[in-house]
Amino acid sequence: MSVRGLLLLLVFQLAGTALSLWLLPALPGAILGMLLALAWLGIDGRGSEALRQSAGTLLRYLPLLLVPPAVGIMVQWQRIAADFWAIAAALVLSLLVAIPLTGALMQWLVRRQLGQGEQS
Amino acid sequence: MTAIWTAIVGHPLFVLGLTLLAYQLALELYQRSRWLLAQPVLVATLLLVGALWTCGIGYPRYRQESSMLWLLLGPATVALAVPLQQNLPRIRQLFWPVSIALLVGGTVTVVLTLGLAALLGADRQMLMSLAPKSVTSPIAITLAEQMGGIPALTAVFVMITGVLGAVLGPLLLDRAGVTSPAARGLSLGLSAHAIGTAQALQEDHEAGGFAALAMSLAGAATAILLPMLMGI
Repeated sequence: MSVRGLLLLLVFQLAGTALSLWLLPALPGAILGMLLALAWLGIDGRGSEALRQSAGTLLRYLPLLLVPPAVGIMVQWQRIAADFWAIAAALVLSLLVAIPLTGALMQWLVRRQLGQGEQS
Repeated sequence: MTAIWTAIVGHPLFVLGLTLLAYQLALELYQRSRWLLAQPVLVATLLLVGALWTCGIGYPRYRQESSMLWLLLGPATVALAVPLQQNLPRIRQLFWPVSIALLVGGTVTVVLTLGLAALLGADRQMLMSLAPKSVTSPIAITLAEQMGGIPALTAVFVMITGVLGAVLGPLLLDRAGVTSPAARGLSLGLSAHAIGTAQALQEDHEAGGFAALAMSLAGAATAILLPMLMGI
């Protein structure tokens, strides 16, 4: 991981935070930072290659970074127990509907587009 | 002996070391078993909660001394721009099908999640923790924090959703008669983020590509649209 790439990641994150505070309080700074980085990569801005490499390295450790937030569950047991059925229904039923629906819709749309392509 | 033990447990680096140890053990278990349910984040979290409890370390201390890892979550979210940009060209051939399917699928997921949870008595804080559950973890955690949810709950909901989606997804898609790899991948990536993408990649190369596209695009779109809708 190069210092240059890491620096760019931090710069985009901080620029995103500034943008969030200044113009778009609804969006978190890191999300705006991601969009800025996307634009930067799109115009192939300076240091794009270093940015790609550092991003790849950091994303390899992403699961490790997710452990500390998840550990917060140790003080949230009661919340989960209190709303157990609401949580279970929301997590399971939304998947049972959304997965086949999205798949079937996409398949239908793709076939329709390909079908039209053949006719024209 | 007790004094040494107390000094080690009390050391500011002890918590970080414990986190690395739990993650390493979980990673090895996953690599050896290749068992979908043994997701490293899930196993590491359970090990760590047990270890902290045994050592008598409370959550406030853990939170404070693991802050280095928390801080990196921001730059890691920024880093998601790279896979998003790499997967974007795939959308060109199928712009409308991909856009419509993601928008409809994503909306149905969020509306059903919020509707069902609200119907069964979840309060606003719980709803805000549930809303981003299908999105890739760094985005989901950031969003939950922004919208007044509980990031810890979101982190766990995202993991459960990923595992369930990757296990049930292929069966549900078979049932619905979805055979096109692009459609299967898109659906898995949208509903089960990184775990679903890994599953799609095992099915087929094209399915894996569309899953990665769906995950990146849905993550970015949700990150922009969800806080705005919830703010109203």
